[in-house]
Amino acid sequence: MPSLAVRRTMFLALAALIANGCLPVPATQQGRQIADLYGIFAAGSIVVAGIVWVAASVALLRSRRAKEGLPRQVSGNLVVEGIWTAIPLVTVLALFALTVATLSGVDARGSGGVSLHVTAFRWGWTFTYPDSGVAISGLPESPPEIVVPVGEPVHVTLDATDVNHAFFVPRFLFKRDAIPGRPTTFDFLVQEAGTYPGACAEYCGVFHAAMTFSVRAVSRPEFDSWLASARSSPSAAASAGGSPSASPSPSVP
Amino acid sequence: MSASAPAVAIRRTEPPALVAWLATTDHKRIGVLYMVTAFGFFLLAGLMAMVMRSELAQPGQQIVSAQTYDQLFTIHGTLMMLFFATPLAIGFANYIVPLQIGAADMAFPRLNALSYWLFLFGGVIVLLGFLTTSGAADIGWTGYAPLSEVRYSANVGVDLWIVGLALSGASSIMGAVNFIATIYARRAPGMTMFRMPIFTWNMLVTATMILFAFPAITGALALLYIDRHLGGSFFDASRGGDPIIYQHLFWFFGHPEVYIVAIPFFGIVSEIFPVFSRKPLFGYRLVILATILIAGLSMTVWAHHMFTTGRVNLPFFSIMSLLIAVPTGIKIFNWIATMWGGRLSLRVPMLWAIGLIYVFTIGGITGVIVASPPLDYQFQDTYFVVAHLHNVIIGSTVFAGFAGIYYWFPKFTGRFLSERLGRLHFAAWMVGFALTFVPQYQLGAEGMPRRIVDYAVSTGWGALNLLSTLGAFLLGLGTIPFLVAVALALRGPATAGDDPWGGNSLEWATSSPPPHHNFRRLPPIRSERPVFDERLARAGIDPAAVGVEPDVGPPGAGAADVAE
Repeated sequence: MPSLAVRRTMFLALAALIANGCLPVPATQQGRQIADLYGIFAAGSIVVAGIVWVAASVALLRSRRAKEGLPRQVSGNLVVEGIWTAIPLVTVLALFALTVATLSGVDARGSGGVSLHVTAFRWGWTFTYPDSGVAISGLPESPPEIVVPVGEPVHVTLDATDVNHAFFVPRFLFKRDAIPGRPTTFDFLVQEAGTYPGACAEYCGVFHAAMTFSVRAVSRPEFDSWLASARSSPSAAASAGGSPSASPSPSVP
Repeated sequence: MSASAPAVAIRRTEPPALVAWLATTDHKRIGVLYMVTAFGFFLLAGLMAMVMRSELAQPGQQIVSAQTYDQLFTIHGTLMMLFFATPLAIGFANYIVPLQIGAADMAFPRLNALSYWLFLFGGVIVLLGFLTTSGAADIGWTGYAPLSEVRYSANVGVDLWIVGLALSGASSIMGAVNFIATIYARRAPGMTMFRMPIFTWNMLVTATMILFAFPAITGALALLYIDRHLGGSFFDASRGGDPIIYQHLFWFFGHPEVYIVAIPFFGIVSEIFPVFSRKPLFGYRLVILATILIAGLSMTVWAHHMFTTGRVNLPFFSIMSLLIAVPTGIKIFNWIATMWGGRLSLRVPMLWAIGLIYVFTIGGITGVIVASPPLDYQFQDTYFVVAHLHNVIIGSTVFAGFAGIYYWFPKFTGRFLSERLGRLHFAAWMVGFALTFVPQYQLGAEGMPRRIVDYAVSTGWGALNLLSTLGAFLLGLGTIPFLVAVALALRGPATAGDDPWGGNSLEWATSSPPPHHNFRRLPPIRSERPVFDERLARAGIDPAAVGVEPDVGPPGAGAADVAE
């Protein structure tokens, strides 16, 4: 067995990894709430893993001092068993309360802002701004980039035309499945200008890995001028009312 | 007349070895067939994993095409879940449960044989897809519709996958009926429910779960087949079907399934901790209660796989999923308490069991994390979930599976597996496990989706993927000492004897391997440790002097509570 020092080092390394390394820096209001909740779960995880690993290690070490012959045949103890039933129960109930609180924040719908229809298909995306009629479509060889204003809610309606897909932006700490015939809605509010890569997260066939897109968050004036230019000069990347009729034949990623 | 009769009798009792194995209805032989076949599928699916990890070691595509990669992860998952983990548990149970309850065989030996052959051919049929021109199924082991509809996946490999799974599902249901009947009806005199060994208890609960869960997947597969070939539209939204119903049906099976492949293995380590600590299982009845609670809760949590559909009741499925942590935690604490104050013997079976505590705990904790819908919004369908599911399934099925093989191999064969090779095997798997899956947690948190054949250099995921691939190869190489140990042991002399570890339950009261009908005599059964009780009596030790609590249940053999 590894020595106690080795195990302690391993434990500290793991704790550091969970606490600092894991999540990307959230870019949205919703993502920030998720990251806060994750911090609490991560701290709890470290405590629970610590308790179990230390208890198991101590039980191991103690047995070195065990005498020859049969140890005392203890078959149980209702008090201690009650304790390690009750404490985890209270813990998960507390985590559940925090989960519900966060959920109501993440799933809340804001007012104002921009509407966006997202349609996933094999193997690309169509993003439509219904208020202005601008549509952006893209396939793996030229993944689409959508532009959204910073600091305003974006109201997304998501669906798919063929098989299941999922809209996933890691920096938003958020994904939602795109299911044909079963549209869903959600909001995101980007707090920081920047470009955020996104991808399909639900396996959808042979070019699943190449089904990417990106979200560029800009200030409101920049967004308005982008929208105006997209409407007046439809290009390959941004076309008014365009729809993905051509069957995609992207190169193998 | 009198001269020819004995010759006939001899021919009848000793058919050629091959025929004897093919025609066997002996639960021990069927158990061995199950375990060997399941382990073969494990090695095959493990090799597939190593090919996939090789492809992912660096950004850019090097080893296989996207089509091949999709087939590999589909068949890897299918084999590991349905043709390795489940049948390995059934194999152990086939061999061990009748012995532990003092029975001569299963309740329905021929049904038992049929279960095995359906399982074997189910697996073969799934694999036959690789021989077709369009390849094996490439729809993921979950087979989500509409992707699995014929419009998107016309390859015959998907049909072979459906048929193979349906056969193995029928096999599992037959096996479950058989175990329940055996455990209720064929216990030896004195073996009351609360004197049953903990592994048998776990199998009773598992078999009950199979009866509830497997019909759902069989139904889903039938509907899918009707959609594909008979003009149905159950899951086709464009013709009025609902793709989400498929997910409900699949996970109503799929989530209990992950406990179906965990609970028997929790049962195995619940046997090993007491024997190698020289103490009874701490809180035997609470561990049984925890097992039943896990089983009950596991039927109510399926839609936590569907949080990101936005179409399920998030709080309900979240709280039910979180609650499973409580009975699971009870088991882990009771195992530690069993070791506490014991005189531990760190033989190879015990090393794997202790390793399970360290490894499975992390899988359990990350399970609590993904049970929270807001956190699942980030982790669903990423490598975080891949790491989590491998953490719990390797942590339970594989670690306890190896623990069980090292523990019962002397019973199966009369021979020990090499202690030295076993330690090497264990060490390689502990290190290999951490190296493979800790990087995957981080990759998933950063947003690497699962089931992708490639990723861009700009993602920065190359280094962690390379680490994970090295770990996977360590796991593969680390399995070689085990295979060598088995080969060496089978050539070596039978030195193990009837009861090499100082066991508690009835399988240690007969020879190794046991005779055809298992027992020539049974010790009196007055607790859940009849072999321990008899050993104590033979040594002339007063049970009260070592703290054995007096049994308050009905008396043993010859009493009115005869089970048959």
